[in-house]
Amino acid sequence: METILSGLQQALSMEALLAVFIGSVLGLIFGAIPGLTYSLVLVLLLPLTFAMPTEAGMGLLLGCYLGGMTGGSVSAILLGIPGTPSAAATVMDGYPMARRNEAGKALGTALFVSVFGGLFSLIIMVFVASYIADVALAFGPAEIFALVLFGLSTICGLSERSLTLGLVAGVLGLMLMTIGLDPLTGVQRLTFGFTDMMQGVNLVVAMIGLFAIPQLVDTFLSKDGNKVDLGKFGKVRCTLPTWQECRQNLGLVTRCSAMGTGIGAIPGAGGPIAAFLAYAHAKRFSKNPENFGKGEIAGVAAPESANNAVTGGTLIPLLSLGIPGDPATAIMLGGLLIHGLQPGPLLFQTNLDTVYAIYAMVAISYIAIFAVQLWGIRLFVKVLAVPGEYLAASILVLCAIGAFAIRNSMFDVYMMIGMGAFGYVLKRLGIPIAPVVLGMVLGEILDTNYRTALIMSNNSHATFFESWTAMILLGLTALTIITQVVKRCRNPAIPANDETTIPNAKNADGASAH
Amino acid sequence: MNIKKTLSAFGLFAGALTLSLPATAADNYPSRPIEMTVLFGAGSSADLAARALADGLSKELGVPVPVVNRPGGGGAVGYSYVRDQPADGYHIVWNSNSISTVHHQGNLPFGYEEFDAVAQVSTEKPVLAVRENAPWQTLSEFMEEAREAPGRMKVSVSGLGSFTHIAGAAMFNAGEATMTPVPFPGNEAVLNLLGGRVDATVQLPAALVPHVKSGKVRILGVSSDSRLDLFPDAPTTIEQGVNSNMEMWRGIAVKKGTPQEAIARLDAAIKKVTESEDFQKVADNLAFSVSYLPHDQFAQVIAEDDARIAELMAQMASSN
Repeated sequence: METILSGLQQALSMEALLAVFIGSVLGLIFGAIPGLTYSLVLVLLLPLTFAMPTEAGMGLLLGCYLGGMTGGSVSAILLGIPGTPSAAATVMDGYPMARRNEAGKALGTALFVSVFGGLFSLIIMVFVASYIADVALAFGPAEIFALVLFGLSTICGLSERSLTLGLVAGVLGLMLMTIGLDPLTGVQRLTFGFTDMMQGVNLVVAMIGLFAIPQLVDTFLSKDGNKVDLGKFGKVRCTLPTWQECRQNLGLVTRCSAMGTGIGAIPGAGGPIAAFLAYAHAKRFSKNPENFGKGEIAGVAAPESANNAVTGGTLIPLLSLGIPGDPATAIMLGGLLIHGLQPGPLLFQTNLDTVYAIYAMVAISYIAIFAVQLWGIRLFVKVLAVPGEYLAASILVLCAIGAFAIRNSMFDVYMMIGMGAFGYVLKRLGIPIAPVVLGMVLGEILDTNYRTALIMSNNSHATFFESWTAMILLGLTALTIITQVVKRCRNPAIPANDETTIPNAKNADGASAH
Repeated sequence: MNIKKTLSAFGLFAGALTLSLPATAADNYPSRPIEMTVLFGAGSSADLAARALADGLSKELGVPVPVVNRPGGGGAVGYSYVRDQPADGYHIVWNSNSISTVHHQGNLPFGYEEFDAVAQVSTEKPVLAVRENAPWQTLSEFMEEAREAPGRMKVSVSGLGSFTHIAGAAMFNAGEATMTPVPFPGNEAVLNLLGGRVDATVQLPAALVPHVKSGKVRILGVSSDSRLDLFPDAPTTIEQGVNSNMEMWRGIAVKKGTPQEAIARLDAAIKKVTESEDFQKVADNLAFSVSYLPHDQFAQVIAEDDARIAELMAQMASSN
C-alpha cells in the first residue's frame, strides 16, 4: 500500500503531470500530422529527458507514445493518410466515413475505443503482467512465424474486389521489404551495389509515400481540386458517436483490445499486425461484412482499439523482462536506463514505486488524451474546409520533412517519392494499397522468423508443428483461407459489386496467369 | 499566410546559414558546431553513450556537438557519409569494431584506413551466458560438451557476422569446439535463451543485466583477461583457459587527413569528458566500461582488431 501511494505521489508531482500532459499533446499532434510520426518526436524528446527527474522524463516519453498511437487515426480518417503504420487499417473505413461527412463520428469512435483499448491493456498490465510475460516467452520464431502467417491470411478479407489483386499487392509488399541488408546474415539484397540502398525500405517512409503521394497527385491533377478530394466539404459538422453506437460495439472492442494486448506483449510482432487482425476479425463476425471498406464504424473501432491496447502490451515485456518489443519502447528503455532504472524482474522488487508511477502515468495520459482530443476533433475536422490544393501542398512538404527526419537521410525522401509513384501506378491499376502495407509490415518478421526457426531445427519444417501455439495459429490461417475460397467459389458475384475497376481487375487476373 | 513569402523566408534563412560558415583554419578549431554521426537509431545504449559524450564534448569545446543518427547497412551508411565530408574535424563518427565487420563482410568498400583515430572511449566485454538451470557450471564443461557433439550447441547471437557472433566464434575456436549460431536481429536473443529455445547466448553485458541480477541467467565466461566490474563473480575466458579476449570498443574517428591540431584538441577534450563523474555515471547505468585511449594507441587497437576480425570472418565464411 505504501509503495502504491509513493508511486502515485511520484506520478502526481507537478513536473510529472505536466510532462505527461505535454507528451500526450505532442504525440497527438505529431501523430495527427500526415508525414510526421510519434517515433520522430520520441527521438527528439529523448535527449531532453536526460536532465529531467525520472518520473517526468518517463512521463514525457510515455505520453508521447500513447498520444501518438491515438493521434495516428486522425490523418488516417480525415485524409486517408495513416499517421503511424498501426493506423493503416483504420484508413479502410475511416476515410470513407470522412468523405460521407461523418468525420466527427469516425474520429470520436476512434478516440473512445483508443482510450478504452489503452486502459484495458493497462488493467491487464497491472494485474496479470507476469502471466503475460510468460506468454511472450512462449513465442519463439516458429510461433511468431505462424502468427505472422495468420496476419497475412487477412489479405483475403482486405481484397474484396479480387483475391488475385490482393495477393499481387501482398506479394509486392513482401518483396519490397527484402531490399537492403539481410537482417540475419548482413548480405546485400537488391541493393545494386549502392550504399544508400543498404538502408532498405523504411516502413514509415513507404507508408507516407504509398498513401499520401497518390492522393496529392490526384488533387493536383483534378481541375477543381478543392472540390474533389481532400477538401470536399466547405462546411464541416462534427457529430460525436452516440451512446447507443458505442454500446453496440462494446463486445467487439473488448475482444480486439484483448487481442492487441496479447500481440503487443510478443516482442517483435507489433501494432500493425494487431490492427489488421482486429479489422479482419471485425469483418468476419460482422452482420454486414459487405459494408466494410465503405465506411463501417466497426472497421474503425476494431483496429483503433487493438492498436492502443498494444501500448500496454508492449510495456509488459519492457518492464518485466527488460526487453523492448518495438522501436518506441526501445527509446523508453533508453530513457529508463539513463536514469539508472533497469527494467526487469528486479524492478518489481527494488523499484515497485516506479512501476506504480508508470501505471498511474498511463492512466493520466489517457485522461489527458481524451480531454484534449475531444476538443481537438472539432479543430481537426476544420482541415477539411481548407481548399485541396493548399492542403496538398503543405502535406507534401510535411511528408518530405517526415521522411527525411526518420533517419536523417535524403535517400528516404527519394524513396518516399519513388514509393509514391509506385502507389499511384497501383491505384491506377486498381490494386489495393492495404495488402501492400500488410505485406511490408509483416515481410521482415516473416522472413527472419521463418529462417531462424529453420536454423534452430536443422532445416526441419516439422518445427512449425511442434507447439500448440503454432498449431492453433496455423490452423486458424488454413481456416481463414479455406472459408474465403469456398465463399468466393459459391458466390462468384462478389467482384461484380465493384463499379470501376472490373476491367483492370480482369486484366491483372489474366496477366498473373502467364 | 502567404505561402510564397514563407518560402522566400526559408530561402533567406538557408542562405544566411551557408554564409555564416567561415573558411576554417585549424588554429581556431573548433569555431563552429561539430556533428557527431551515430551509426544506429536513437535510444539504444550505444546511442545514449554517444549522446552523453557529445554533451560533455560540447561543454569542453564550447561549441554545440549535435548527434545525428545515420543508421543502415550495419554502419555502412554512416561511415560512408563521414568519409564523404571534408577532413576538417567538424564531422566526427562514433565508431566501433563495426568498421571492420562491415568492411570484411563486403558491405563497405573501404576499411578503417580511411579514418584517423581520435580516442577510444569505452569497451564492452561480450559474455557467454546460459539459463540458471543449465547443466554446465563452467565454460570448460560447456566447451567439452560442444566438442563432443559439434554444432549441437545452439547459441543466440545478434545476426550472422555481427560482433557477438564473431566474439562467440572466437571463444569456440579457442575452446576447439563448434556452435550453431542462431541469429536474432532484434532484442530476442536473450528472450529465446529465457524461453529455452537456445542453449546459450553471446551478448554484450548490457543486454543481460536484469537477468543476471535476478538469477535467471548465469554467465559462464567473460571474453576478456580481466573481470567485469559489473559482475565481479563472473569468471573470464582467459582464467578458464579459453584463450579469447575479443572486446567491443567504441570511440571517435574522423576522416583521414584531418589536421593533427584538430585531432589533438578533440582527443584532449574526450579525455576530460571520460574522466568526469557524469560520464562515469552514464557508463554505470548503461553497463559499459569507460576506457580512454589516446589517438595513437587507439589507432593501434583498431588495426590489430581489424586483422583478427578479418581472419575470423574468413574462417567463418569458409566453414559455412
